[in-house]
Amino acid sequence: MKLSRVRIGILAGSLVLGTVALSGGGASAKALTNVTFAYDFPGPDFELVPLVVAQDRGYFAQAGLKVKIVFPPNTSTTTKMLALGSADIGMLTTSDMVIAVNAGAPVLSVANYSMHNNWGLFALPGTSLNASTLKATLKGKRIFSYGDTWTESMLPFVLRYAGLSTSQVKVVTDPTGYDLTFLLAHKVDVSTNTTNYELPGWAGSNKPGHLSELLGTKVGAPDVPIWTYAVTRGYASAHGATIRAFLSAVKKATIWAAKNPAAAAGEFDMAYPKSGYTDAYNKLGWSLTVPILTNASGQYFTQTSAQWTTLARALKGIKLITNVKPPGVYYTNSYQP
Amino acid sequence: MNRKTLLNVGVPLLSLVLLLLLWQGIVVVFHVAPYIAPRPMAAIRSVTDNWSTLWPLVLGTIRETVYGFACGAVLGLTLGAVMAKVGFLQRLVYPVLVLSQAVPTIALAAPLVLILGFGVGPKVVIVAWIVFFPVAVNVLDGLSHVDQDLVNLARVYGAPRWRTFVHIEVPASATPIFTGLKIGATYAVGGAIIGEFLGSEGASLAIFQEHANANFNTAAVYGTTMLMTVIGISWFLLVIGLETLATPWQRRSVARRYRWRR
Repeated sequence: MKLSRVRIGILAGSLVLGTVALSGGGASAKALTNVTFAYDFPGPDFELVPLVVAQDRGYFAQAGLKVKIVFPPNTSTTTKMLALGSADIGMLTTSDMVIAVNAGAPVLSVANYSMHNNWGLFALPGTSLNASTLKATLKGKRIFSYGDTWTESMLPFVLRYAGLSTSQVKVVTDPTGYDLTFLLAHKVDVSTNTTNYELPGWAGSNKPGHLSELLGTKVGAPDVPIWTYAVTRGYASAHGATIRAFLSAVKKATIWAAKNPAAAAGEFDMAYPKSGYTDAYNKLGWSLTVPILTNASGQYFTQTSAQWTTLARALKGIKLITNVKPPGVYYTNSYQP
Repeated sequence: MNRKTLLNVGVPLLSLVLLLLLWQGIVVVFHVAPYIAPRPMAAIRSVTDNWSTLWPLVLGTIRETVYGFACGAVLGLTLGAVMAKVGFLQRLVYPVLVLSQAVPTIALAAPLVLILGFGVGPKVVIVAWIVFFPVAVNVLDGLSHVDQDLVNLARVYGAPRWRTFVHIEVPASATPIFTGLKIGATYAVGGAIIGEFLGSEGASLAIFQEHANANFNTAAVYGTTMLMTVIGISWFLLVIGLETLATPWQRRSVARRYRWRR
C-alpha cells in the first residue's frame, strides 16, 4: 500500500512536470515560422554544411525559424520550386538566376553563398594544363561537361582565350555521370568542375599524383560568385523578416563552420549518414569551400552590381539570355544581417 | 475517303486535338507562367523555329532506335525460338532474362559508356536490352501454344521440322510475336533517349532538351518531348503496318490472288 502511494505520487508528479514541459514546448513550437529550403542538387552534399550547422546548433530556432530542407528532382528545378511556392528559399547557381529572370521568373538573389569562381579544367596527373599551351592541350580533345549552365557559360571564355571554337573540341555531356570515372577510363581528356567537388573526388579515388588543374579565372573566365541564396519577389515582399532571420542564422552557422571545418563536416555526416559521401570527402570538400565563402574584405554574402552585370553580359554573349537587365533586378542585399 | 478510314484516322486525330485543347485550357484557366508550362502552340513553334538544329538530332535518335530495335528484335526472336525448342535452354536462360530486366537501365548505362564510349554504341545496347525481353517472352509463349493438331498433320504429310516451323508454327505464333514487337517498339525510343541522356558526344535530342531545361526554355522542353513522342508513335505505327502486311489472314479468310499480266 505504501509503495502504491509512492508510485501514485511519482506518476502524478511526472504528469504535472510533463504537462508543464509540453505546454512550454508547444508554445515555443507555435512561435516558430516554417521555412522550406530547396537545395540546388538532388541529394545532400557538403555545401549544405551551413544549413545543417544552423539546424544542429539551434541557430534557426533562436531566429524563430523551423527550416525544412528539400531536394529538387534535378539541378534545373530549384528555381521552379521557388516560383511554384513548393520552397520559400533556395540555393541556385548565379547563372541559373540570370537565366530564370530572363525567362520572366520573379526570382531575386538575397545573398551570395560563395564569393569566387572556383570552376576550372581538370586532367589526369602529368597532363600539362596551363594558360600558355592551352590551345595545343585542348584542340581536338574530349571535354567533359555536366551540361549545367555554369559550364555552358564559362567554357566559351576558356575556348576564346585558347583561340579555339566549339567545333575544334568535342564536348561530351553527361548530366548524370561522374567526370572522374570518365577521366580515369580515358573516355574524356579534360573535365570541367569546381575545385571543391573535383579534388575530394580525386583524393577518394586513391590514385597516385595530383590532378592537373587550371582555374577558369586564369584563362578568361570572370571571377564571379557561383552560388546564391534566392527567393521569389512575392516571398521577399511578404516575408522580409523571415528572410532576414534565415540569413542571420545561416551567416552565424557559416562563420562557425568556416572556423571549425572538421567539426562542421562531422555535423553534416551525422545529419546525412546515408548521403553516399565519405567523411574524408565531406571534410576536404568543405575545407576547400571555406576560402571561397568570403570576398577580399572578408565579407560573407555581400553581392555587387558588377558581379551580376558581368555574368549577365557573359550569358548574353553566348546567347543564353536576350537582355542584360539592371543589376537591381537580379539581387538585393537589403535582407542581409 | 470512306467512312471506315474516316473513323480510323479521324477519331485518333480528334483525341489529339482534344488533348491539345485541354492542355491549352489548363494553362489559360490556371494562369500557368510560360516558364512553368508553355501553351501548345509555343511548344510546337519552338520545334519549327529550331527545326534546322533539331532535324539532325531527330535523325540520330531514329538511327539509335532502329539499330537497337533491330538488334533487340533479332535477339528476342532467336532466344524465344531456341528456348521454345530446347527445354533445357529455357530453364537455363529464362531466369537470366527475367534478371536482366530487373537491372535498372540507369545502372546499366554508366558501365556501358565506360566500355563503349559516348557514341551510338551504348544507346543501341540500351534499346536492344529493353526490346529483346518482351519479344523473347512473347515468341516463347506463342511457339509453346501452337495447335499441336496442326503440327501433327504437317508431320503426317511428311513435312520436315524446319518446314513445319516456318509454315505452321511461325504463322500460328504471329500474334504474340507482333505483340512483343509492338511492346518493344513502344519502349525503344524511350531507351534511346535514356541512352542519349546518360552520355552524348556532341549534340543529341536528350541533351538539347536538358540544356533547354537548364536554360528555362520550357517551350523547347515540351517541344522536344512532343518530338520524342511523335518518333515513338511513328515507330509503333510502322510495326503495326508490318504486322498488317505480314499477317493478311487476320483480316480476310481467303488469300488475295494476284494475276500476272503478260
